[in-house]
Amino acid sequence: MGAPARASSRLSGELAGWAALIERAARDRGLDFFPVQFELLDASDVNGLAAYGGFPVRYPSWRFGMEFERLEKGYHWGLSKIYELVINNDPVIAYLVRSNSTLEQKLVMAHVFGHADFFRHNCWFASTERHMLDRMASHATLVRRLVDRIGLERVERFLDLALSLENLLDPYLPLRQRLRDGAERRGAPPASESSTPTFDVLGYLCAHAPLDDWQRELLSLVRDEAYYFQPQRMTKIMNEGWATFWHSRILTGGVLDASEIVEFADCHSGATAVAPGRLNPYKLGIELWRYADQRGEDLWRLRRVHDDASLIDELVDDEFVASQKMFVYGRNARSGKAEVEGRDARAIKDKLLTQLSWGGLPRIELVGVDVGGQLHLEHRHDGRDLQLERARETLRRVDELWRAGAVLETRVEGARRRLIASGGEVRVEELDDARADTKAH
Amino acid sequence: MFRIDADRARFREIVRGKIRSDLSKYLSTSELIARQGAHAVSVPVPQIELPQFCFGENDKGGVGQGPGERGEELEGDGAGQDGVGAAGDGLGQHLLEVDVELDELAEMLGRELELPRIEPKGKRLLMSDGGRYSDVSHSGPDSLRHFRRSYRQALKRTIAAGKWDPAAPRVEPTREDFRYRARRVTPTPESSAVVIHMMDVSGSMGREQKEIVRIEAFWIDTWLRSQYHNLEVVYIVHDAAAKVVDHDSFFHLRESGGTKISSAYELCLQLIREKHRPEDWNIYPFHYSDGDNWSARDTEKCIALLRDELLPRVNQFCYGQVKSAYGSGQFKKDLDDALGADERVVTVSVSERTDIQRAIRAFLGKGR
Repeated sequence: MGAPARASSRLSGELAGWAALIERAARDRGLDFFPVQFELLDASDVNGLAAYGGFPVRYPSWRFGMEFERLEKGYHWGLSKIYELVINNDPVIAYLVRSNSTLEQKLVMAHVFGHADFFRHNCWFASTERHMLDRMASHATLVRRLVDRIGLERVERFLDLALSLENLLDPYLPLRQRLRDGAERRGAPPASESSTPTFDVLGYLCAHAPLDDWQRELLSLVRDEAYYFQPQRMTKIMNEGWATFWHSRILTGGVLDASEIVEFADCHSGATAVAPGRLNPYKLGIELWRYADQRGEDLWRLRRVHDDASLIDELVDDEFVASQKMFVYGRNARSGKAEVEGRDARAIKDKLLTQLSWGGLPRIELVGVDVGGQLHLEHRHDGRDLQLERARETLRRVDELWRAGAVLETRVEGARRRLIASGGEVRVEELDDARADTKAH
Repeated sequence: MFRIDADRARFREIVRGKIRSDLSKYLSTSELIARQGAHAVSVPVPQIELPQFCFGENDKGGVGQGPGERGEELEGDGAGQDGVGAAGDGLGQHLLEVDVELDELAEMLGRELELPRIEPKGKRLLMSDGGRYSDVSHSGPDSLRHFRRSYRQALKRTIAAGKWDPAAPRVEPTREDFRYRARRVTPTPESSAVVIHMMDVSGSMGREQKEIVRIEAFWIDTWLRSQYHNLEVVYIVHDAAAKVVDHDSFFHLRESGGTKISSAYELCLQLIREKHRPEDWNIYPFHYSDGDNWSARDTEKCIALLRDELLPRVNQFCYGQVKSAYGSGQFKKDLDDALGADERVVTVSVSERTDIQRAIRAFLGKGR
């Protein structure tokens, strides 16, 4: 605490006043954060920045351009509007859109202080790079330098290849290494896992794949960024809930003018609206925090030690499920329509935990390299099959990096299957269980 | 602002590459016709997705909030989104529409079909205000400063003043030494062209035949528009009688009746005489039919009209015969017999959509 009120360094006049006031209110309530730097943006620039995930400088890639195109169209047709854009950095950078009303600006500010506190204190963020703004900029420089040296086509092609594999990481690795090595791990991507078995496939490839130096640099860049973003994936509900919980408390606790209450209620309910069949992380999140608060839990501790899955495991019970009118839905096999399947708390929790664990990604483990040099991956099947077409294509890319063949074992509709990629071709082998069991890893 | 413009440009370049490599596909669909704006066509392209390991079909369903009994159907489009937090990173199967300038589309067409550029037979010289920066002037904005010329000037002055010392080659430019790139206005011939599309809409021309004609007309217009500063397009439909219609009607009209081709040629000639005189216009009549005409006498009349009246006035006359279940295809034979040797006449027969490409190449491949 006690950081000087640098919050409004980029704001002036009325907004700077509000930022200082809201920052004080947030600190008074116990929120604690790195300095927050607000930047004013024109509406026309929001989408460009959002396509870069809020970072003003990213490495050149057509994917950001595509994302921009998508956001622009969405904005143009009135389908989406971006309110808040905040990045985990020291100082925290947050953007305010010039055309928003004063109330909207206040709401975003209070919301941002909630995120900033969460970034600083949630354990999953503890080992994220806090100077990501600089890191992103140096990534950009690296890629531009490589483009000049190697050529756009080759760099782009390799980046696309690497990005196909960005999910192949171990979400628990940074925290594990931090617990092992102590706090000096702060702010660095986890060291590559170079022994098997490991879920840090990216790290293993960085260490062992037969790559040129420039390729290794790019692969490790992709891995860095993936590990930086991973905690946000794992705490989306908690984090949005935390920010929403606090913006509501702060604003209704004295910051709002009486004339702004209706507009506030309108904005707030817009953000927390539920559509059937879609979980709104803002809504579920804020309700979880309110419920914890009601039960007299230590909110500060909860926000420090949990991710979405473990918080839900801790808090969701019959009472919560009933008060939130939660249900499980599934697709009716005959009509193809989604329909309510039930309201049993156990089933609801199971479904949520399955979908949230491992950052919502399939668990793919690298089990080892066989004598022929082939890389063996195994999908830890949890009842959900892989999308087979994409799995083939992705495995083909793994092989393109590894060059000596790649094998993925998974299940398709209950039956064991082995995908084998080699020399640009992928074939699928059926695996009868007897034979598979004798296969040693 | 930011660098997003460069990334967007790269994305569009990739998409254009895809469009270019798929151009033959676009050449045989009417998909683009409805998407044409004043200067650009919006081409639907699928999002490019990088493959990643992800869950498949049996990861359907999820947890929701709200009222509803067991077995009750979920309302709204929300049900289409499965899973938790899908809103944030859900790359949908959405199509993106990418605007491609008509000029660029024409360029792709030109490259794909190896079309020669047309040398316009311009009559008057027009001071075009475009011009290139090929001149040098003594004044201008710093952004246009011509470094090499400025330096040479400074060097000349230094040497002339006797201050040049090869041991310490210092050149200090003064204000007077600076040279700037300047625009040179070049007179270019004014070129205007008129395309006259004549389509047989009689009963024997089925839906598919008309569709083929429309696709051809779309691409022909696109190409010619890129070749002339000023392109006008006139649409004529005929059965036993001919009339001028607007763009929309041409592309959507259904008529039926007998066929008298001469009616269209007469109307065409009348237009040329009254509005689009050959002294001022490059004239491109196109005629499409299934090759059935009312009578041999009318066909004779057509040939006479072409030979004596139309051909001397036009750049090129194109006849596209679309094969239909009912058409005899006699008209093309008659035309080829009578005028086949004339290089101003191009006749092509098209039996299905895949022939469109060949037809366009034949029509536009002469560069006339």
